[in-house]
Parts: sequence; C-alpha cells; structure tokens
Amino acid sequence: MNYEVTIGSTTFANPVLAASGTFGFGTQLAAVANRLGGVVTKAITLAPRQGNPPPRICEFPGGIINSVGLENPGLERFRTDVLPVVRRLKCRVVVNVAGFTPDEFRELVTGLNDDRVDAIELNVSCPNVNEGGAIFGQRPEMVEDITRGVRNATPKTLVVKLTANFVDPAETAKAAEAAGADAVTVINTLFGMAMDESGQPFLGARTGGISGPALKPFALYCVDRVASAVRIPVIGCGGIMSGKDAQDFLSAGARMVQVGTASLANPRAALAVWQQLQARCRLECVKAWDEVIGRARR
Amino acid sequence: MSPVTAPVVQARRLAAGVFSVWIRQAGLAQKSKPGQFLNVRVLDGLDALLRRPISIADKQGDRLRLVFRTVGRGTEWLSRRRAGDSLDILGPLGRPAPTPTGKDVFLVGGGIGAAPLLFLCRRLAARNRLQVFLGARDKGHLILRREFRDTGSPVRIATDDGSAGQRGMVTELAEPVVKQARSPVVYACGPKPMLAELSRCLDPIPVLGFVEERMGCGTGICYCCALERKAGGYIRFCQDGPVVLLNEVKL
Repeated sequence: MNYEVTIGSTTFANPVLAASGTFGFGTQLAAVANRLGGVVTKAITLAPRQGNPPPRICEFPGGIINSVGLENPGLERFRTDVLPVVRRLKCRVVVNVAGFTPDEFRELVTGLNDDRVDAIELNVSCPNVNEGGAIFGQRPEMVEDITRGVRNATPKTLVVKLTANFVDPAETAKAAEAAGADAVTVINTLFGMAMDESGQPFLGARTGGISGPALKPFALYCVDRVASAVRIPVIGCGGIMSGKDAQDFLSAGARMVQVGTASLANPRAALAVWQQLQARCRLECVKAWDEVIGRARR
Repeated sequence: MSPVTAPVVQARRLAAGVFSVWIRQAGLAQKSKPGQFLNVRVLDGLDALLRRPISIADKQGDRLRLVFRTVGRGTEWLSRRRAGDSLDILGPLGRPAPTPTGKDVFLVGGGIGAAPLLFLCRRLAARNRLQVFLGARDKGHLILRREFRDTGSPVRIATDDGSAGQRGMVTELAEPVVKQARSPVVYACGPKPMLAELSRCLDPIPVLGFVEERMGCGTGICYCCALERKAGGYIRFCQDGPVVLLNEVKL
C-alpha cells in the first residue's frame, strides 16, 4: 500500500504528524520526527514571546491542561537560529504561525518563504492568549479574513487550525475553505481550568487548554461534523494515543492526524501511533487510504 | 530517546513520607550523571498521563537509586513499589551539574534535597575538598547521613528542634564556613525558601541550586517547566537545569 497523503501541494510520507506545541521544533527528537509524515512546529509569532507565568501544566484523570502562552523566539530568531537546525530534518515541516492581527499573519507567512517550510498552519485557536488566538477562531468572518490575506501572500500549502470553543467548527471550516485554505486541523485544545488546594486557580495564567485522551470523543465528533461540511481535507487532532485512535479519526473523515499530548508522556508516541496504524491497515488488508477515510459516513 | 524498563531491586522507607528505590538498568546507569533526573511513569492506564521527574540520588555499578518524598498519588504509587516490580523510565534527562571551578566544594542539602547531592558527593569526593551540610526538621527527617559520611567527607547537621546536630537552619551552619574558603564552590538543594536564603546570605558567592518545578515532558518539547529569570523571561529547566545559578533566577 502507498502510505503517502497529499494536502495542497505537499505530499507527506504517511498521515501521522506531531501536533504543534507538543514537539518543540522537531529538533530534540529528530530520530522520531524523521519517521513521521511530518512535524508541526511550535507556534511562531512576529515578536518573541516569553510565555505565561508558571505553573503552565496540570494533570487530571484522562488529560492535561496547559497554559504555555505561545513562548517562542519570534520570526527573526526562528529564521536565524531554529531554521538551520530544522533544515536537517528529513520529514515534512509545517510551521505553525500565530498573529495578533490579520496583517501579522500575512507578515509571518511572507517571512517564512523558505524552501524548508513545506506548509503553514494558521493558529486561530490558541486558548492561552488574551487577544487573537481562539478569539479569532470563534468568528467565521475573521477566519475567512485572515485566511484570505495569507492565501494571497503565499503559494505554500495552507492549513487552518480550528477551535471548537464556543463555536461550530463546521462554520469556521467553511470560512477557511471559502478563503482558499488547503486543509483544516480539527481541533485545538478546549478551554479549561483547575483549582489548587486553597481554591485558587492552579495555572499561573488562571486558565488553559485541555488536551489528552479525555478530548478524543469530542474531537472525533468535530471531525465527523467538519468532514461532512467541507471538501478540503481535515486533519484530526485530539487525544490520539494509539493506532486505533488514529484510525478512528480517519474513519470519521480525517485525511491526516496529529499526535500531541501523547508525546509528553512518551517521546516516541507519535511513531508508535504510526506503526500501530500501519499494522491495523495491514491486518484489514487496506489497499488505499480512501477505503478508510470517512468510512463511518458511508 | 526511548523509555526503558527497570526492575526494582530494593525499596524501603527512609523517613516519614521519604522513600528509597534502587533500580537495575545498566544503560541508564552508565549514562547518568549527578544533577540529572529520571522521568518515571506512575499509576496505571491514563490516570496519570505525565511522568514524575525524580532526581538520581546514587549510582552503584548498574544500579541507580531514587530517593523521593511522597507529594501526591503518583509518588505514593511509587512508594508502594517492591523488589521485583518494574518501572517504566525515561532518562537520564536534564543537564549534568557543572564541574566545580575550585577545590573547596560545599554541599548544602535541606530535607529531601540531600538526595541529588549524594550522587554529586560521590563523584567529587576523590578530587575535591568536600564539606557537607545537611538540614532537616528533626532527627527523624534526616536522610542519607550515613551514606554521606561513607564518602569520607565531613558532614555537619542542623535540625530545627536540635534533636540532631546544631539547632537552627542549615544555612546558618554553612554560611560562616563557606565564607572562610578562598574560592568556594557551593551546590545546594532544598525547599525554595532555603535556597533563596542561602543565595542571599552567601552573596556574591554563586550558589548552584538544584531546583524543582512542575514539569510536562522532561525532554524540552512542551515548554511547560518555566523558571523565571531575574533578567526577564523564563528558562526551560528540563533543558537548561535542573542545576541553575540561584542568583540568576527568581525563586
């Protein structure tokens, strides 16, 4: 079977990606990254960001809540310091970008016009910033605006990562599609909160984003919903821990999947997911991804 | 980097809520250096998604010793492991403690903070003049005293209630001795208030502190273990720690 998948103008060796924010820039774990379809980098903003005060992570049965707050070196230092190391990766590199205005998104994407950047993922869904982020992602017209601006600024494969916080992702997915996106990632973390022993917010930033296996049933529902609303490919994300989980997302209509939180528990998790998915497909004698993708709706 | 399975060869309680677990894992032991930590899987299933970072307290051949305090369900689970059980471990992680720049080395440990200093003490004992200062609430909470003495280094004790050694803070015990040395190198591990006080009273003598902070992955990919720098911004201390210059961070 040919394991390749194509999104926009980019062909990936297999459908498993490491999700943004849970794999650094792919450089710490290059040996794992190189065997995946690709890596989605930690989000890049125009200016450097130091991120939110600690604690930035807490755990609950079935998942975690994080509030990193887009800590990153900014576009310029990404180009000078990070990109040279990223160049050595042998897998596809999708750079996640987060702007605080539609213009910033355009500027970021223009600044990433480099051969090593295979695709761009627009982050209109970060739950851990006070402006932009999920606020953009809750408004279909804003998603359309940002996507159109970026579409006109780059020929690269364009993915829009959506939120399901207080918005129907089918609506924002349609907006992204109308503006020329090549795919949508469904979903980013959900808003969450935890209290400490004294009844105060546990996280330094008060609130965070929920991820991990607890998210999977809802994420699967969202993928099913979005995949029946748009024609562009859907990249499923949310609580994938195993090959079965990944296959469930394909069955719901996803063409690719992203493994996130699982990598925090085990740096080889995304690779294990890919190997298990492959084994399942062999066992089922699958000959092409299209046999699996969206079969839950046939 | 892959997690490995390590059998527990000995497990026992050292003090109230403090436990010692020896594991056997030749590969891990060979790579492990003082200052580094192991990220240990705890509980079953998805109950605890994240591993628990535990500092390495000692090494003997192909064995590593973990000494930890129970602070929640994960470490309580770990405290119930017995010889013959297996642990799922990722490591060694973090940067090894920097080698001392002078001959006179002082190790200052408070409570459970004695643990990572023991591994360092063994490593440095041959080539340096070492002095160890251990502090605890009371005699019953004093750990690893015999192990430190066995390295041949002088060990001085302070307890809050005077039930062992001098009554008072370990920082008070260490301060005058460290200040007499010509070019002292100080390593410390303990509660944050202790580290802050030691850094303050020894200033401008730099103190290399082993710090603890809530951690996500331990491998540098999640950016969750942020420690605030005085100069602004944060360090990711699973990468740039856990041993840091205390006068450079906000405790």
